[in-house]
Amino acid sequence: MKRILTIIFVLIPMLFVAQTKIEGMVTTAKGNPIEGANIYLQGTYDGTTSDEDGHFSFLTSEQGTLTLILSYLSFETYKMTEDVHNMNHLQISLKEDINALDAVVLSAGTFKAGDNSKINALKPLDVVTTASALGDFVGALQTLPGTSTVAEDGRLFVRGGNANETQIFIDGIRVFTPYTPTTNNAPTRGRYSPFLFDGITFSTGGYSAEYGQALSGVLLLNTIDEPDQNKTDIGIMSLGATLGNTQKWDSGSLSMNMSYINLAPYNAIFPNRNNFIDPFEALSGELVFRKKTNNGLFKLYSAYSNTGFELTQEDINNPQGAYFKLKNNNGYVNTSYCGVLKHAWSIQGGLGYTRDTNSLILDDNHIDGIENSFHGKLNLKKRFSKRLILHSGIEYFNSQFTETFSNEEIDRARYGYRNNIAAVFSEMDIFISKKLAYKIGLRTEYSELLHDFNLAPRLSVAYKTSKKSQLSLAYGDFYQMPSSQVLKYHQDLQPQDAKHYILNYQFNADGKIFRAEAFYKTYDNLVKYDTDFPGFDSQYSSLGNAYARGIDLFWRDNRSLQNVDYWISYSYLDTQRNDSNYPQRTQPGYANKHNLSLVGKYWIEDWRSQLGMSYTFSSGRPYTNPNRSGFLNDRTKPYNSLSINWAYLISQQKILYASVNNVLGFRNVNGYQYANSPDTNGTFNRRALLPAADQFFFIGFFWTLSTDNKSNQLDNL
Amino acid sequence: MKQIIYLTLVLICGSLQAQSNYEKGMQTAFQLWQDNPIEASNLFERIAQAEPDNWLPSYYAAQINIIKSFNLKDVEKLTAQLNKAQGLIDKAATLSEDNPELMVLQALLHTAWLAFDGATYGRTLSPKIREIYMKAEQIAPENPRVKYCKAEWDMRSAQYFGQDTSPYCKDLEKALELFANFKPETPFHPNWGEERTASLFESCSQ
Repeated sequence: MKRILTIIFVLIPMLFVAQTKIEGMVTTAKGNPIEGANIYLQGTYDGTTSDEDGHFSFLTSEQGTLTLILSYLSFETYKMTEDVHNMNHLQISLKEDINALDAVVLSAGTFKAGDNSKINALKPLDVVTTASALGDFVGALQTLPGTSTVAEDGRLFVRGGNANETQIFIDGIRVFTPYTPTTNNAPTRGRYSPFLFDGITFSTGGYSAEYGQALSGVLLLNTIDEPDQNKTDIGIMSLGATLGNTQKWDSGSLSMNMSYINLAPYNAIFPNRNNFIDPFEALSGELVFRKKTNNGLFKLYSAYSNTGFELTQEDINNPQGAYFKLKNNNGYVNTSYCGVLKHAWSIQGGLGYTRDTNSLILDDNHIDGIENSFHGKLNLKKRFSKRLILHSGIEYFNSQFTETFSNEEIDRARYGYRNNIAAVFSEMDIFISKKLAYKIGLRTEYSELLHDFNLAPRLSVAYKTSKKSQLSLAYGDFYQMPSSQVLKYHQDLQPQDAKHYILNYQFNADGKIFRAEAFYKTYDNLVKYDTDFPGFDSQYSSLGNAYARGIDLFWRDNRSLQNVDYWISYSYLDTQRNDSNYPQRTQPGYANKHNLSLVGKYWIEDWRSQLGMSYTFSSGRPYTNPNRSGFLNDRTKPYNSLSINWAYLISQQKILYASVNNVLGFRNVNGYQYANSPDTNGTFNRRALLPAADQFFFIGFFWTLSTDNKSNQLDNL
Repeated sequence: MKQIIYLTLVLICGSLQAQSNYEKGMQTAFQLWQDNPIEASNLFERIAQAEPDNWLPSYYAAQINIIKSFNLKDVEKLTAQLNKAQGLIDKAATLSEDNPELMVLQALLHTAWLAFDGATYGRTLSPKIREIYMKAEQIAPENPRVKYCKAEWDMRSAQYFGQDTSPYCKDLEKALELFANFKPETPFHPNWGEERTASLFESCSQ
């Protein structure tokens, strides 16, 4: 009997330890029950899963004060610390996770290309698979709304702004000379290889207080954090050759990329309107070094390029043609670090340095320029919670520009400027709920050269109108120094100012994106001068002003048609400007009212080929016709171009790529050059400014050697 | 007789005590897996937080979320599940570095993205997947899951390029041999994949 009692006493505590029942209900904020939520006492095995009514109940033998945790996908985890005896009849509602995919995003004015960012109008690959882009990251962005087609220039013209108003950043650090040098009437390209970037954000207005010295747009490029594998890439093209190599090890990696371009063989086969004495030749190299530290990542990006050519171009005022010779050396180094600190702080900073030397001979004028520019930035970010994030930083720009000018009469005239700008910015992201979010920022800048201090507020609000759509409003004040073309002669000016007002609607569902954005922009303190081109003798003022307003539409769909991905962009732009040498407010020569782009990609499984097309239409741009009174008084005919490309995977390592720009051979006119003096009938004769060639052909063969022999450069095409 | 009953009872109680919460929990979770994967995943997560030094419960919670994500069309749910699985893998990886089982799981997670939208993710994730399998094979050439998952991946790629898949059948055969000799460290260590390998190998010979 005693033994039986012993057994009972041994067993009972084990099987029937004093247990407490924990039970309650879990719902969404709206009161809908949540099924499948995980509910448990922290640090113990005691817990359960909620049933279809959101009800949960479990027993625990724990005593005293413990933390109860409730978690469910796409909701914020709920914690309550309480005595276990009080954990009954619980009514808990979970807040929706504002980081979930269907939560509101602060995105007015922005196009993002990235793998997992929430709303991607562009994919990283689009940069190189868009038919008209020819591997130029700038070319691909020109198929997005908000940009104007200025075929002879090639740079980004955003919403009525000139090309200087859009700035480019690599890993958060400013790139001072992003475009390759080129001759008149020939489009430039982005200097840097798109293969080294995996994130691209293009903002056509209302951007964050982190970015300054840009009146119209910013383009943010991020270099790849971690390459996939060791490999060597070889490319043989109709224009030259490329060679790339990547080595990676446990805590870091090194990528190198070299390219040599020579247009001589191409020009020999295809007729060209320029008369090259020395063909376009460019040697460039890039190097990216990445090193992981315990809490962060250090990156060094450097690029060097050497470009040169010599030619004569037809000129109506010069029967021998205009002579143009250029040599350019450009070096860029950018180091950045981003890392995690304690207590939800993180740090990001970097330094960038550019040295650009340019030697130009225009007829008998010799112009030699040297630019040295430096940018340093330090950002600190604090996450107070998922719903409140503070972001602050300081920034410093230093640029020095010197130019010497000589011709028959002038011997080595030397001029230039040096400028220091210091800036402080701070911004806060506030998520009121999954539906409503604010971004409030302020930026202040001081320019040493202009002795000017300014304050630039930025504000944006986004509201989720349905599960798949949202509405955003943005306002921002932006300042930028006058361009170096003016500052080198005259510095007693004020920073130019632009104000953006943006209303954006976005719909995003199942591989389809629709975006509509209306904007209004005003400019003040634009630089004016009283001669055709800025010079020593010009009279300067900061009295220029302008406005731009319009609508941008974008539609992309990669789901409705099998293996087809396409997008359509349309921009309407109404802008009038009174700056530089304009006698009155008028539509500038680089702005067109209507821009339409259509880009399509079709993947043919059986042929292992991707066929691509890209069509651009833009309405005529203004030019001055001296045979009629007025300034910028005539319009060119509309611009049309259809480009196609074909990428064929020969095997896993070999790709053949071909493209034709302007396949239908539209004869586009970029503008007209008029004679300086009228002929005997009193009319000014003119010459159409035509592209160097109406069409452009490209063939390339790309071969990847990797350790596993399976990788290819399709990522690159 | 009474002695025996007494002894038996004490032994049963003893063994009940010896079977730890961890073992009970893991067993229950495995039993739940088939019929109620959400509860199983929740339970694995609960075990993971109660056993902060053990990578296995996070591994299984991640695996359930990844398996659920194949053939899922709802992008929001898919993203939430795969992000959750990624968090669990990251957590497990801090407890067990260079673990080939976790690498296989990571490769499968990428494969789930690829299966969802090959046009978007194929070209960026395929090199990553290959790299992971290569590294896993270097670390653990005798792990049958590394062998079989890599072989299946290689086979699919070869099929895509219209190339000969027979070399990978040999890899599958090798994987079957490895499975035959494979002994998991504990009953709760990963020990799956043999059936799938056998059926893939069978379709090879047809």
